[in-house]
Amino acid sequence: MIKFVDVKKTYLNGVQALKGINLEIHDGEFVAIIGLSGAGKSTLLRSINKMIDITSGELFIDDVEVGSIKGKELRMLRRSIGMIFQSFNLVRRMSVFNNVISGRVAYHSTLKTIFGLFPAQEKLLALESLDAMGILDKAFTRADQLSGGQQQRVALARALTQEPKLILADEPVASLDPITTIQVMDDFAKINKKFGITIVANMHHVDLALKYATRIIGIKDGQVVYDGLSKDITDDILINIYGRNLKHDELLGE
Amino acid sequence: MTKFTLTNGKLVQKPFNRVWVILAVLLVLIIIFWQFIFLPETLTLDQLGSVLKQMFTPKNDIMAHRTWSDYFAYILELIPRLVLTLKMAFAGGVIGSLIAFPVAVLAAKNITKNKWIYGPFKFIMNIVRTIPAVIMVVLGSFFVGIGVLAAIIGFTLFSFGIMAKMLYEVIETTDMNAFEALESTGANKIQAFRYAVLPQILPIFISYLIYVFEINIRASIILGYVGVECIGSAIYENVLFNYDRVGATVILLFVVIVIIQVFSNWVRGKLQ
Repeated sequence: MIKFVDVKKTYLNGVQALKGINLEIHDGEFVAIIGLSGAGKSTLLRSINKMIDITSGELFIDDVEVGSIKGKELRMLRRSIGMIFQSFNLVRRMSVFNNVISGRVAYHSTLKTIFGLFPAQEKLLALESLDAMGILDKAFTRADQLSGGQQQRVALARALTQEPKLILADEPVASLDPITTIQVMDDFAKINKKFGITIVANMHHVDLALKYATRIIGIKDGQVVYDGLSKDITDDILINIYGRNLKHDELLGE
Repeated sequence: MTKFTLTNGKLVQKPFNRVWVILAVLLVLIIIFWQFIFLPETLTLDQLGSVLKQMFTPKNDIMAHRTWSDYFAYILELIPRLVLTLKMAFAGGVIGSLIAFPVAVLAAKNITKNKWIYGPFKFIMNIVRTIPAVIMVVLGSFFVGIGVLAAIIGFTLFSFGIMAKMLYEVIETTDMNAFEALESTGANKIQAFRYAVLPQILPIFISYLIYVFEINIRASIILGYVGVECIGSAIYENVLFNYDRVGATVILLFVVIVIIQVFSNWVRGKLQ
């Protein structure tokens, strides 16, 4: 469970990205965060695994208060949280397999990982994650030879190899074409249902968010303006979140 | 600064491009140095032609009567000196580059975020780089006396200066997205470096290593001046009277550098 209690974030340049967020996200949910760019979606997501430090308030993951931990404790927390990025963030010139197994480094001592040694069952885990994402045959090709959709699946396999209880996704399909977007979103749905992993994703395309997520959180100007089931969303609610009608590019438009 | 006014009245200003200032300064510098080179007419084209002829034909005058077979025999005579030069250049290049590696990492501000750490390391790098190779060798000979060891110490420092500078620039321009991803999996900084940055810079490091080796061989000419029996001393000994032997040495060096170049291209092709 993730719990935000009056979480605020002010950047050094004075921008108030989060203005008192109160939220509870339960295990196994598929949550989409929607809102205008600059509304604070990315800050909200990245504060969960402390890639961004919050300024005030409290943020709990299960019983761990994220704001106060650092060092080894923080790394232990992070290894139980997978993260997916808009630009995939793979090492492009490394093989797919090595990218995926790098999801395990936090489970081992620095010395062991320097030499690239992983137990056989973890290598198997990496290959099984690739298989679950349907790209087992690409295991030993270089990451930069893959298409965008395939690269995002490699990133998903890396996250799965962490054996996470939660996956955070920051605009996971924003740099993909419509067809691969659907495929990658289907993968997210599969991960959520089959493995029971909680998913929190920032979504640019509103129709995708409504289709795949069970719950929608609307962010406007650093505040939660909607929090409810995706089936309860109406046009009026969307106009409230976006302050205007949706633009063409905010819908995938299947 | 260029201004555009759109038909609807909107104003767009193109910011001033600093590249032009830098180019202008460079141009002025080139013109100034050009004058230094060509105003004092020390070398005419005729003289240049005569020197080249003396270098690449066997010497045949009142001082020496040498034939083409003497010319090529001298090249073979140089082989042991060449081998010693290669050994020194290689040892210095490898040791210097290995020391340069951690220093370059610590000097890269995207990895070492603390300016009180990367600042001093950048400073050390820049100081070392300003010292010419010949001074390095002389410095080395203060500690261990003139000889092969002094030469290796000199080359180590020289290689360190080149490698540290080139490598830290590569590290600062690597794609840090994967580093961020690794940190998000709970990896510590060393682990994130090992899995996200190292795979990106290692091929470049190896290709630079060959480059440093090549620079060292060329720089080894100066070792002749400090009395180390190497390919450079062959030039030093002959530069006054035996231009043909200098020419023979230059041919040998040229062949070696071309071989290294071909090897380097091959390795780089493999690393891509």
